[in-house]
Amino acid sequence: MLNYAIKRLGLSVAIVSLAMFLLFCMIYLVPGDPASVALGPRATDAMKEALRVKMGLDQPIWVQFMNFFMGAWTGDLGEEVLSGRPVLDVVFEQLPYTLVLIAGGISWSVALGIPLGCWAAIKRGSLADRMVGILSVAVIAVPSFVIAIYALLIFSVTLRWLPAIGAGEPGDVGDQLIHLILPSLAVGLGWVGYIARMVRASMLEVLEASHIRTARAFGLPDRTITYRYALTIAILPTITLLGVGIGQMLSSAVFAEIVFARPGVGKLVYDAILTRNFPVVTGAVLVTTVIFVLLNLIADLIVGALDPRVRSSF
Amino acid sequence: MTQLLKAGLTRRSFIASTGAFGAASMAFPHMAISQDGKILTVRSYSDLQILDPAFRLSLPEDDIIRAIYPPLIEPVSGDTWKWKTVAAASMEQLDDLTIAFTLKEGMGFTDGYGEVTSDDVKFSIERIADPANESPYAGDWAALKEVEVKDKLSGLIHLKNKFVPLWTTTLPTPASCILSRKAVEEIGGKIETTPVAQSGQYLLSEWVPKQRTILKRNPDWKHEPGGFEEIHIIPIEDPATAERGFESGDLDYTWTSVSSLPRLKENPPAGSVVLEKPSLAYVWLGMNQDNETLKDVRIRRAIQHAIDREVVVDAAYFGAASVGNGIIAPGLPGSRDSVTYDYDPDKARALLADAGAEGLSVTLDILNQSERLTAAQVIQANLADVGITCEIKQNDSGTFWSLGSKEGDYFMDLQLVLSRFSMQPDPSWATVWFTPEQVGVWNWERFDNAEYKDLHDQGLVESDPTKRDEIYKKMQSLMDESGCYVFLTHEVVGAIHKDTVVPGLKPNGESLLSDFKPA
Repeated sequence: MLNYAIKRLGLSVAIVSLAMFLLFCMIYLVPGDPASVALGPRATDAMKEALRVKMGLDQPIWVQFMNFFMGAWTGDLGEEVLSGRPVLDVVFEQLPYTLVLIAGGISWSVALGIPLGCWAAIKRGSLADRMVGILSVAVIAVPSFVIAIYALLIFSVTLRWLPAIGAGEPGDVGDQLIHLILPSLAVGLGWVGYIARMVRASMLEVLEASHIRTARAFGLPDRTITYRYALTIAILPTITLLGVGIGQMLSSAVFAEIVFARPGVGKLVYDAILTRNFPVVTGAVLVTTVIFVLLNLIADLIVGALDPRVRSSF
Repeated sequence: MTQLLKAGLTRRSFIASTGAFGAASMAFPHMAISQDGKILTVRSYSDLQILDPAFRLSLPEDDIIRAIYPPLIEPVSGDTWKWKTVAAASMEQLDDLTIAFTLKEGMGFTDGYGEVTSDDVKFSIERIADPANESPYAGDWAALKEVEVKDKLSGLIHLKNKFVPLWTTTLPTPASCILSRKAVEEIGGKIETTPVAQSGQYLLSEWVPKQRTILKRNPDWKHEPGGFEEIHIIPIEDPATAERGFESGDLDYTWTSVSSLPRLKENPPAGSVVLEKPSLAYVWLGMNQDNETLKDVRIRRAIQHAIDREVVVDAAYFGAASVGNGIIAPGLPGSRDSVTYDYDPDKARALLADAGAEGLSVTLDILNQSERLTAAQVIQANLADVGITCEIKQNDSGTFWSLGSKEGDYFMDLQLVLSRFSMQPDPSWATVWFTPEQVGVWNWERFDNAEYKDLHDQGLVESDPTKRDEIYKKMQSLMDESGCYVFLTHEVVGAIHKDTVVPGLKPNGESLLSDFKPA
């Protein structure tokens, strides 16, 4: 297991390093002068040059890359262009909002997707099953920003049940939860379809297993068989799917944060790209990449610990 | 949970009570924060980045800075450009080179920095003018010689030369906001996002990055108080999102996009007032005269004649804006009623034939906004009609604003570009960007005309309104003749507010937060 963990950790380090390299290349290739954009129309040439020097843009490209690379591995992601605040502080200020949004999205997808998948499996071949199938494909097919805009128009603008903008009063958990309902629905609704399909397929497989047949032969109630014996096994692939889905939810979060004017890492990166605030772009993308890689590493280690075949095949 | 179950909470009763809670919450529509009239919630298009008057970056910051560091004077809200005193008890132009000021009594800085004095005025103004401080606003005080302190509350502003825009675009802006000399020197000479020694009608009490800024009424401000106990400023870049925020009741006031104005005017949300204000902005199609394809003035003049400006503006702004005839907005000296070229496709074709440029292909760079794209598509169709193939290139803002910069590698390849600048209420603010010094900086058409530059310099010292009007009209005629410009519109500014609020707005629709009042 130790050998497997070391190999898996090494792979994660390689992935993060590659991501850093690609990130740096992309930033370097983007047209537009960061100093001009940051300082605005009234800046003199001398002021722009001073900012370029401050940002290290006057250095050769390989020096810039080494500074970025070495800094990142020591936790120094640089400073925000204008305010001079450490990028790590700026990113960690926004990160909780995005993590809460993704957690909310996962909650919606689990709370709706698992019951729908179970129901469809139990009612296999019925009208209900077909309806769940159509609904699942429909919500998968509709982009999250479309859901976000329609949810906002219906529940905020027309009905005025829920707020349209912001993340709620700082320190007021109830208000923050109310502000989370629509954005998290927009992020999570597409995954309701994925999870419903996955749970249905797994349930159908598990319901045919011999231990379920045995349970039926013993006369256990259907409810107990479905939820205690079948679902606990059928849900395992769903958890793996959700691990992968976090990456996609991160990208959906960008739209939700813009449409609902919520703070968060997605909006931070979007604004930073527009203003060519490169230290913030690289810092924020790097932090989210590390989080994603870490979550996958943890998931793989758990699976490896539970299943010896995975360890030996790596 | 076990205890709850013992107390009689079953799964069925839990679901029932949760459903009842949900139904109850839906029965009472979501209420705005500002329903009690004590809190004003407004949208700004960008978040706070810097609070120093010498280094401010955007209009929303101007508004906050003016509220917490009082300027000597500021614009009066309304439909005409006038000013009123804020920190100054009186301001008087003694002669062309001298302005006398006296401060109001009893204005104090927070954090124990004492009373606001004329020495603080001297410090605040001279630090902007001092080239060593590299303030982007040094040009506002380029004519400053010195500020002389007469006594604790009065002083004289001495100028090196006459500077007419001083009363319109320097003094009524954050360039005259007063900082505490002691406080600013203690923090190293520059204020970032944490204000020190505030002294205005409002105090900045909280800034949550990307979420909100809260101003609270200054309890020690002894003069006309701010209209609300608190002002919450929410940064929302996208105007459509802000409009939805207003319609859902989360905002009391917001700017709107021009294209939304017809819809909002037709069907305003209940309890709201839709405003349409003339804008000082100017939108034009520029042509790079140094680009190989466009070097021949006949080709540029052909493009001027090929474009139906009326149709372009109507399509892009859904009829909400009218055609503009220059860079100076109506109401200011130099504003024109017409341009020297008309829509004449036959003349355009003849000019192209004369220049031997049939079958010409050009590129048109635009910012990736829907209004610009629509305008560009109409221009593309107009050009196709006279035999010019036009490729539209959309750019994000970071790329777009560097396209014509001499520091980049695209400025000579740039051909047609659709641009929009905004300005302050003095014509020199519009003409300055097209001087020869600005070639490759903001003058992307590379229009290089010595007479234009001379006229610009004359305009800065000419105080006779009639002569100024002639100067600025002549400058725009020179721009017409160069063939580098097709002037499109000054746009309009759209805003919407609740009828429980009286907004404080400059004549061009820009907000003056400290002038907002409950209705």
